[in-house]
Amino acid sequence: MPYLSGEETVKELRRALCNPNVHSDPLRHRNAVLRVIRAMSQGVDVSALFSEMVKACATVDIVQKKLIYIFLCSYAAVNPELSLLVINTLRKDCQDPNPMVRSLALRNMTNLRLSSLVEYVEQPLIAGLRDRAACVRRVAVLGWAKLHDLQPDSEIDAAVVNELYSLLRDPDPVVMVNCLRALEGILKEEGGVVINKPITHHLLNRLKECDIWGQCEVLKFLQRYQPQSEDELFDILSLLDASLVSPHPPVMAATVGLFLSLCGSLPAVGLSALRRAQGPLLAACGSGSREMRFTALCHIQLLLRSLPGLLGAHYKRFFCGYAEPAFIKQRKMKVLVELVNDDNVAMLLDEMKGYCTDVNPDTAQAAISAIGHIGRSYSDRSLEILVGLLGLKQDHITSAVVQTMRDLLWVCPQCSSTVCLALEECEDTMQDAQGRQALLWMLGVYGERISSAPYKLEVFIDDVRNETSAGVKLELLTASMRLFLCRPAEMQDMLGRLLHHYIEEETDMCVRDQALLYYRLLHCGKEETEKVLQGRRSDPSLGVLIGPPAESISQWAHSFNTLAPLLQSTFKPDSKPQLSDALRCDPVETSGKTPADCSPITQLAFLTSSSAAPLSLSVSPALSPEKFERLWLQPRAQHDEHGKLQQTVFQCSAQSLQASLQLVNVQTLAFTPAHARPWKVYLYTRMQLDSRGSTLILGELVHCEEEPEEKTVRVTLRQQPRDDETLKAFLSILTTVLHTHSSSNETLKDI
Amino acid sequence: MSASAVFVLDLKGKVLICRNYKGDVDMAEIDHFMSLLMQHEEEGLICPVMSHGSVHFMWIKHSNLYLVATTNKNSNASLVYSFLYKLVEVFTEYFKELEEESIQDNFVVVYELLDELMDFGFPQTTDSKILQEYITQEGTKLEVAKSKVPTTVTNAVSWRSEGIKYKKNEVFIDVIESINVLVNANGSVMSSDIVGSIKLKTMLSGMPELRLGLNDRVLFALTGRDKGKTVMMEDVKFHQCVRLSRFDSDRTISFIPPDGESELMSYRINTHVKPLIWIESVIEKFSHSRVEIMVKAKGQFKKQSVANNVEVRVPVPSDADSPKFKTSTGHAKYVPEKNLVVWTIKSFPGGKEFLMRAHFGLPSVENDELEGKPPITVKFEIPYFTVSGIQVRYMKIIEKSGYQALPWVRYITQSGDYQLRTNV
Repeated sequence: MPYLSGEETVKELRRALCNPNVHSDPLRHRNAVLRVIRAMSQGVDVSALFSEMVKACATVDIVQKKLIYIFLCSYAAVNPELSLLVINTLRKDCQDPNPMVRSLALRNMTNLRLSSLVEYVEQPLIAGLRDRAACVRRVAVLGWAKLHDLQPDSEIDAAVVNELYSLLRDPDPVVMVNCLRALEGILKEEGGVVINKPITHHLLNRLKECDIWGQCEVLKFLQRYQPQSEDELFDILSLLDASLVSPHPPVMAATVGLFLSLCGSLPAVGLSALRRAQGPLLAACGSGSREMRFTALCHIQLLLRSLPGLLGAHYKRFFCGYAEPAFIKQRKMKVLVELVNDDNVAMLLDEMKGYCTDVNPDTAQAAISAIGHIGRSYSDRSLEILVGLLGLKQDHITSAVVQTMRDLLWVCPQCSSTVCLALEECEDTMQDAQGRQALLWMLGVYGERISSAPYKLEVFIDDVRNETSAGVKLELLTASMRLFLCRPAEMQDMLGRLLHHYIEEETDMCVRDQALLYYRLLHCGKEETEKVLQGRRSDPSLGVLIGPPAESISQWAHSFNTLAPLLQSTFKPDSKPQLSDALRCDPVETSGKTPADCSPITQLAFLTSSSAAPLSLSVSPALSPEKFERLWLQPRAQHDEHGKLQQTVFQCSAQSLQASLQLVNVQTLAFTPAHARPWKVYLYTRMQLDSRGSTLILGELVHCEEEPEEKTVRVTLRQQPRDDETLKAFLSILTTVLHTHSSSNETLKDI
Repeated sequence: MSASAVFVLDLKGKVLICRNYKGDVDMAEIDHFMSLLMQHEEEGLICPVMSHGSVHFMWIKHSNLYLVATTNKNSNASLVYSFLYKLVEVFTEYFKELEEESIQDNFVVVYELLDELMDFGFPQTTDSKILQEYITQEGTKLEVAKSKVPTTVTNAVSWRSEGIKYKKNEVFIDVIESINVLVNANGSVMSSDIVGSIKLKTMLSGMPELRLGLNDRVLFALTGRDKGKTVMMEDVKFHQCVRLSRFDSDRTISFIPPDGESELMSYRINTHVKPLIWIESVIEKFSHSRVEIMVKAKGQFKKQSVANNVEVRVPVPSDADSPKFKTSTGHAKYVPEKNLVVWTIKSFPGGKEFLMRAHFGLPSVENDELEGKPPITVKFEIPYFTVSGIQVRYMKIIEKSGYQALPWVRYITQSGDYQLRTNV
């Protein structure tokens, strides 16, 4: 039926409905009604037929009744006056001996959603609550909720509320659950339906009778109950044990949610419940419906925020199938990244490698960045794969790999040598602005170690007119400046051309201003320029060592088993943006400041260049925490140096301390949490001994607060092989670092 | 739960039928659904939940239909998806095939069902067996309103009506196991599991009480028996008719069965099974000229058993042409629209080994598009055999009229998600 002929259709339908011959033949009459409904579903506006349909309502044919009611409910809002006419028929139907008719009438009476009809509806609803047939009671109970929804301001009679409470004991489980739902809506102002001890026990006893919808609902309402004693709590928990391992994912999820809220004060019990729910959770991840799989994966991600170790042994269950949709693959990869450990890393990376060449570029990109994430703890293996991927010469893969390498370098500076080697080989020009930006950043920061860096930049500078992305332009400027500082001979001409172009011809103000700033900066001399441009190269605080700590369950328990985890994951693509933000803004951030008001980190940068210059500290080859522990505990083979540093209390955060130590090439391995006493830091470095190889220094800083007047940090150092001179030198560096920190804290306090 | 409204859309996003349950979300919001979906699709990241302002769309796709639930609350996502799948299940049972045509042809029944399934955003009666008793397609035939309420709406045993009668009382039990296997390109089994289900076709009179005995390891451990092969089942799911409390306490599976066909239980076994049909493949791609494929299939199951209708699906490049095949048994066919060679073997006895060679030409101009590496998939069916070794030890049927009834048992093993990755 073409949409445009709507008016004619209506006319024709009206004629059919009014025809007395049609009226006399029930079959023809019903066909006429059917045609109206069909027209309605097809989007034709048939509201003009309202009065005819009201008349047709008086019929004994139940199917016709249903259809007419659907019509009336759809158009009641447009015809409030005429709707009044229906009420009589509906009220009469509420007296019908057939319970099906009674429930149908009652349901549609409340579905009309007209506040003018409320007064007529209340009486049949009250009768409905006491009806013999369960199906009528079901409808009546929800009818009250609808009524309240229609007029949220008017109070529902207390007697009705009481009646609803008493219907919680109705033999029909659906009536019981509907009562909970209705009361929740009606009593919203007062905090919803009251779940006290007798109600809780009643609900728990009847849980098994409910269908899965009912069970989920009841379990959700039980979250509101706070058991009075620990014994009661455990009784409830053991009663619910069967639901916890329920094969129906929604029931299982609802039970887990309930456990989490009941065990808010007993995290250990909550944890063991989660462990027990592992099986069903995994089963949900393999469920036939992809939407359920997706939901389960999102919730597993939520769990892993608090329990990183959970499910580690089952990592194979999260391997992607070829035909799975991209949203599931990407989510699985995020889960896999969380599950990586020493035993499975080889298998896992091997599997991930396969995903990097996925047909969907987004999935491929996600796989590459997942490998980068794993690289934070297993850098060698991951880098090997990433470097291998560069060999594929696929544009989108190269771009993703370069970005991932950049992010990895920011967190694990020890990877720089491998990355530099790889970049040396990488010849491609990328289409993607993000990728080019990442490449430029690395060329700038690590340019002195990439012999071909100036030639790579040259390609960009020669092509500067065709560049459209402002981000790339800014990055190109900064990279050229940085490279100029360490390789002036090769860069001078190019930089001149670049600055000239940007200052004279660039239309983007931001780029032009930046170019002008650099131009003036160069006039101030090399030292000054270096101070500004030597920003941070890395921020290991984002790495695995201190990484994001495990959250407590209570932080997300309230959103468990709702829509929120699914939405969150679509809009918050993990920590990557923060990271790139930090990278992007860093040259600008420091540019305006003089050394005096700079952060402790910049001050330290000067420190390294001046006092500690003759000593060359380095953190490579990297030392694993296990090896550190072994060396540290080795009995007295090394030289020990104990010292006490008179120091003001250090309030600096672990992260900033680590960052500053990193700047002088001292790697911190482990911290105790911020408020633990005594507060400890373990660190190590290697020091170059002229022509005699290197010496390894391990250190422990202990800060006790037991003696508050004696604000000291005790330092224990172990060295291998022994060399007093270097040890002393190292101690002085360490002292300076700590000093800088405490003094900067004082200045902060003054401000 | 709270779904505000439910829509059934065709592939173009036109509303075929809808039902407004709560009235708190504007029905016109659905117009944004299709544009959102297209936008996500362009970005390559379709997601089963999409938001427009404060309205969230949760959707599933079934054949040529979208089923969409809208909500503006932080509702329980898993429950909404379950409900949408329940809709599909119920509609399918009514119309056999759920698709655009069946919705249009049966819109009266669809309206009736939507009315019963949910009220005010809360699922109500969702059991299709019960629904079928009072919403029938024959409703379109004219009859005066039934004066009798179906007992099941209020019955204690909601899944079975009283007064069912059969001349011959019989139960057919099908034990069906499908195996899922994922094999890496270098031949190592990455993951494998068995998903089993026990299906019943009940033709019994009255209200019979049934008890099913399996060689369940936990049960055997409980009763102290240890002879014979037992099976360790995980994630056991039952039809609602099974008394869970009894299963929990003494592992007895006792129930009053629904009439006709139903799935009594399903389980999963997470053990390493030897892939029943092992495939070795060598696919050599000579760019610009040809592709040579050699596939060896080996039946790694008992000699007495025979796998039927075996299909080995081998992927080939999308630009391949002029196929040539040579098989030691069965026949191979090129399916260009799916870029596959399908090698069919009608009957494949255990322990045997078969070979297929294929040769394709490749155009001299190379296809630029990036192609994935689709795995080889295998389909098969082995009757009278279960991989896990699960057995029905007995089925006791007790009815108060005391009739004799016969249980018939049938075992089938079939392929589930059976994938072997390739190097090319």
